[in-house]
Amino acid sequence: MIEVRELTKYFYDVKAIDRISFEVGRDEVVGFLGPNGAGKSTTLKILTCFMPATSGSARVAGHDVFSDSLAVRSQVGYLPENVSLYKDMRVSEYLHYRARIKGVSSRDARQRIGETLDTCGLTDMTRRMVGQLSKGYRQRVGLADALLADPPILLLDEPTGGLDPTQRMEVRDLVARLGERHTVFLSSHILAEVESMCSRVIIIKKGRIIADGRPDDLATSLQGGERIRVEAASPLAALLAAVESFGTKDAVLDSGESEGASFVELPLIAEKERRGALLGHLVNSGVAVVEFRLERFSLEEIFIRFTLEEEEEAA
Amino acid sequence: MTVTVGKGIRNYASTSMTLVWREIEAIFYSPLSYAVLTMFLFLNGYSFIICLPDAQWSVSDAIRSFLGLFWMTWLGSIFFPPLITMRLLAEEKKSGTIELLMTAPVTETQVVVAKFLSAFIFYVFLWFPSLIYIIIIKQYGAIPDNGVILASYAGVFLLGSVFIALGVFTSSLSGNQIVAAVTALILNLLVFFIPMLSQTIQWKGMRRTLEQLWVLLHFRDSFSKGMIDTFHLAFYLGLTVFFLFLAIRSLEARKWR
Repeated sequence: MIEVRELTKYFYDVKAIDRISFEVGRDEVVGFLGPNGAGKSTTLKILTCFMPATSGSARVAGHDVFSDSLAVRSQVGYLPENVSLYKDMRVSEYLHYRARIKGVSSRDARQRIGETLDTCGLTDMTRRMVGQLSKGYRQRVGLADALLADPPILLLDEPTGGLDPTQRMEVRDLVARLGERHTVFLSSHILAEVESMCSRVIIIKKGRIIADGRPDDLATSLQGGERIRVEAASPLAALLAAVESFGTKDAVLDSGESEGASFVELPLIAEKERRGALLGHLVNSGVAVVEFRLERFSLEEIFIRFTLEEEEEAA
Repeated sequence: MTVTVGKGIRNYASTSMTLVWREIEAIFYSPLSYAVLTMFLFLNGYSFIICLPDAQWSVSDAIRSFLGLFWMTWLGSIFFPPLITMRLLAEEKKSGTIELLMTAPVTETQVVVAKFLSAFIFYVFLWFPSLIYIIIIKQYGAIPDNGVILASYAGVFLLGSVFIALGVFTSSLSGNQIVAAVTALILNLLVFFIPMLSQTIQWKGMRRTLEQLWVLLHFRDSFSKGMIDTFHLAFYLGLTVFFLFLAIRSLEARKWR
């Protein structure tokens, strides 16, 4: 549904995005992840035909964003990063206006508005002036607007930005529901959210894509993705000595000590027997093991790893 | 095929109507519009009071100056359109609503024309109360020349459409309403006064050309006499379309960078 090829955008001589290419398939929910200023919003603005690319091409729903922009815009629901609405209108008036300019017929508009108000939790707010709404509600109106014409593709720029935790959860649930029938491409710099909403993640940094895949696969590509964490009520030296005497050649990934407690993190040992043996060895060595568990890399760590690796390569 | 084309045109028209209606609503929601309306009414009423005795109570002459030849009328025509148009695109740019507007399936032309039409309709609305003066005159038994009235109004609105199109253009250039208004005002003054320089020009061809563009002469020689010259019609409509074209291009300019 979205095809991006070698897309590049300069603002005067500043490169905002640099030859990025990716594809998003039908009914996929893809997260576009990156630190602030990485080029997420720029990419979304190009995909919604608000600004053109300097070079490269992008097709949305089979139409070119530059040469066939009206066709693209009629297939896309867009939630901008900063939702600016006409402050002098009531919520229902605003949505009616938006539905009409998106080509929803007057007859269908009433029904669609009712549905989206319901979906976005705005049913009590229809008579309120848009200018008096809180940030969270304005965000919801923006989301309702994006859904009005029931477009097959949703481009959401920071859909949870500026919301409180309850509202964030609601938006997450909403996106999950929408993902069943819509292609969703959303940007965020909050990793946990992308992890919970998206089946695929594209990580962008300084205008370049540095990773693209399922969150699990990305984790696996980083040293097996899993590791063992041992916590003990013993001094770190004793713990390290016991680990070493077990004969694990792999380097200890991380270790630390505080107030008589210590921990080590080891790369995953795939065979369960050997894992059991490790625990037995530690206990026999007199280490007071408090916790012994498998840990997965969180997206947060993947993200930090990937962005750090990039910097090291560059250096 | 014809069905889809017909449907496309119908959609285009209904979207355009929605945009125009939204803009008209926005104008009437804005407090500034009521200030403009009040000032305009005052200026218009005062101008009428002066024009009537000045014309030795000749009703047609009074209407001629009131709807064209009197300096206060010019002041109103030059000064008020920028106040109406300054908001139109500058505010959308400043508040960021332009992003949602232009990512909806509407063209730049639709947006610009809708903004122009709404402002023009408001401008016509401003002049509406002046009809009352004419009705009052008729009540007192004086019979003004209907041709003069109609042609004078046509002149006023044609000139207004140029200045409003120009204002839409300057509003598209800036995110600042004041800058948009002042730029429009300066350009209005130039359109209005530059042809007056023709008096100082020796070269005959140039002088004749500039005289052709002299708005005041258009009124003196045709509108106020109850005539609508096709040249003048083409001149004002042409300028209107020209400035609207510039506004559309300026709105599209974000796509060229």
